[in-house]
Amino acid sequence: MILRSEQLAACTVTEVREEVRDARRRDEAIRIAGSATWMDAGRVVRAERLLSVSGLNGVIHYIPGDFTITVRAGTTLQHVAAMAAEERQWLALEPFGARSGTVGATIATGSYGPLAHAFGTPRDHVLGLRVVTGNGDLLTVGGRVVKNVAGFDLTRLFTGSWGTLGIITEATFRLRALPEVDESYALAVDNDPQVMDAQLRAISSASIAPYSVEMLNAALAQRLGVGTDTTILVRLGGNSESVRAQVKALSQLNTVGITSPEIWSSFRECEPEGATVIRFARRPSHLGGLWRSAVKRAAGALVHASVGRGVVRCIVNRDNDEQLTGERWWDPGSAIVERGADIPLHSSGPLAAVTCVRAGISRRIKDVFDPSNILNPGIMGDVG
Amino acid sequence: MTTSERDTELAAKLRGITGESSVLTRRSQLLTYTSDGLPTYRKWPALAVFPNTRNELIEVVRALALAKRTFVARGAGTGLSGGALAEGDAVVVGLNRLNRILSIDAENRLAVVEPGTVNAHLTRAANAHGLHYAPDPSSQTACTIGGNVAENAGGPHCLKYGVTLNHVAALTVILPEGELVTLGNADGEDAGYDLLGAFIGSEGCFGIAVDVTVRLTRNPEAIVTLLADFTTVEAAAQAVSAIIASGIVPAALEMMDNATIRAVEASIYAAGYPVDAAAVLLAEVDGLKAGLDVDVRVIEHLCVELGARTVRIAREEGERMRLWQGRKKAFGAMGRIAPDLIVQDAVVPRTRLPEILAKIGEIGRRHGIMICNVFHAGDGNLHPNIAYDARHAGVEERAHEAMREIMTVCISAGGTITGEHGVGLDKLDYMPLVFTPQTLDAMCQVRQVFDPERRSNPEKVVPVHSCREWYAVRGARA
Repeated sequence: MILRSEQLAACTVTEVREEVRDARRRDEAIRIAGSATWMDAGRVVRAERLLSVSGLNGVIHYIPGDFTITVRAGTTLQHVAAMAAEERQWLALEPFGARSGTVGATIATGSYGPLAHAFGTPRDHVLGLRVVTGNGDLLTVGGRVVKNVAGFDLTRLFTGSWGTLGIITEATFRLRALPEVDESYALAVDNDPQVMDAQLRAISSASIAPYSVEMLNAALAQRLGVGTDTTILVRLGGNSESVRAQVKALSQLNTVGITSPEIWSSFRECEPEGATVIRFARRPSHLGGLWRSAVKRAAGALVHASVGRGVVRCIVNRDNDEQLTGERWWDPGSAIVERGADIPLHSSGPLAAVTCVRAGISRRIKDVFDPSNILNPGIMGDVG
Repeated sequence: MTTSERDTELAAKLRGITGESSVLTRRSQLLTYTSDGLPTYRKWPALAVFPNTRNELIEVVRALALAKRTFVARGAGTGLSGGALAEGDAVVVGLNRLNRILSIDAENRLAVVEPGTVNAHLTRAANAHGLHYAPDPSSQTACTIGGNVAENAGGPHCLKYGVTLNHVAALTVILPEGELVTLGNADGEDAGYDLLGAFIGSEGCFGIAVDVTVRLTRNPEAIVTLLADFTTVEAAAQAVSAIIASGIVPAALEMMDNATIRAVEASIYAAGYPVDAAAVLLAEVDGLKAGLDVDVRVIEHLCVELGARTVRIAREEGERMRLWQGRKKAFGAMGRIAPDLIVQDAVVPRTRLPEILAKIGEIGRRHGIMICNVFHAGDGNLHPNIAYDARHAGVEERAHEAMREIMTVCISAGGTITGEHGVGLDKLDYMPLVFTPQTLDAMCQVRQVFDPERRSNPEKVVPVHSCREWYAVRGARA
């Protein structure tokens, strides 16, 4: 929420630095925006200005043979995907949300999608960044090569820090070659707990190497048109011989039906405006139980789970998100508010003192990069 | 109190925690700990302590904090950047006795280990469940998981599977001031800043891992290893690019040049590499059985098309192991060439490999030194190694000058000074060539968040003087 929004746009790194220095001089906070598709994240950000970096866009460096690409932070994911596709490459990240989202926002929010099953989250894709800190300093962290252990890994600190440590102006990603075959299949899952758990175990140990394995509740399966009840979507890639064998292995578990590859785009963009999104996670072997608890509490919601990662993601109407968070039912495990009301749900540690030490480290890191607390204050709860 | 009185008092205090035989103070005992895998550096620690249990480690770090002493954590001492060396007042905290695998959760593919657990021992234990620990540095039969975390270690198979960062779910860390903290979350997702990611690769400057929760990887159904030999290094480098561009993700893609091949073939690690080849490529594909042969044929075809004289395909475990042993023990085999060896590490964009390899050859010839290249070609991660005899006057200086030139060449090609060995002591001088003063200063300050008194592995990774200069500039401006 912007209290008194003065809209500013920066098209160069120099302008970003000037805006930050100016804000610091006046002791005014900045809310950082890319395409502004995430602006209703719902958490209270006490900021006097909105600084858009969507004008800071375009490709800086792309040598296909290196499988790396360096782009300005305001470049959209769609643009990166199109550039890479021309060389039969891709950024295997495809986070939930609009394709018009920017790479800067994706990295800042640590957003990921169904491909995390095989390829991980932004921390596993980002090789280096340029960042303007809350001091107005321009830092170049990481690098442009696929392996790099020079110095402390500040890239990981900025990734997923929601803009509270600095404004990302440029990013280098690792790309991959597009597979020869990329196909997706749907199979029905039984809602009986024992049968479901057995099916989940069978998928985990099947002779497949999927890109994504997502379980959808009935509402989401119907909305995407892939089933009437709980359904698992599997994305398979590789050479045709490998994919054929994997489909065969899948069909030994249950009847499978091929779905359109477009299903993943619809899936990524299925969130209604203003929804609350909360992710619950446990070790994958507990997924069945976690799933059933979440589905029961999130009546009427769209719910899906990354089967290999043990993460259940609930998309609920903002008016009734309390049904999910009223009590701490996910312990042990984690609950993270991706977007929605400011509910302090951070992962629980076994010892309160340990968590406290960790919070202290985070606060001191915030002090290093943004001592005046002018960058997205409040967006990460305690830390921001 | 004199230095020796302080050391005596500290030794007594540490012996009270760990027992008599776990604290070493005599020079003859400390000799082993004066260098690591890069023996061009030698530093004498004040003393060395070897905690036997987790609690002893915690008590030792707290005692060192109370005594305001600097310390350096050390695993197996196989590091290649002088990172585990302690000097002057500093105490070596040896972690090799903390080598227990605490638990394996096979269903969730997680294991909790103590920091001194040997990398290969973890994989051996995981194998019983059809799993393994993917990062596989060449020193994996000796190096420890704690050391791997400190260095963010890689290995040949990180081309497909990723480095240590991608395989650690959580850490319990004892901070230099003696507080315990859990980073990451093995039971779910992690929230807040990625402190786990920041700790991995911090080279012992942020604290000591008390336990490490690692992710295990399913063993592949099938593995095929190919050996292709080329008459020019350029052709081999082009084959690397062609294989990567084909869309196949090899599990590993390694190159060895003629000097390396000959050293290996003359040693007990002889793997049957053709000694007249300018370079050999060792490529491996693994995963599901179905479709793997298609990838093998594509790689074979590309190598032949780009000039490979022969392509040997090893499917049988014994033959595969022999091919790999030559690669993994290549550094050892280089001991045949000369008594001293600098194992180096740098990364360049993959497409620049042919050009950079030619420049490295030229630098070696100009300085009259022998450079052997054995490296992770698929990642562009070079290991140019200089074999020399330090007893000959001036040779060591020439070797170091050649290394500096090689680093400069790699940096100007858009690369970096280390891909997996770390900065330690060895690469300190190169840091200002890669990072701006602002970035170096930010690194200094982040270190101070974890270690306010800079007692944990002091004077490594970021050149202290460059930070101070920056502080001075800042002071003047304020």
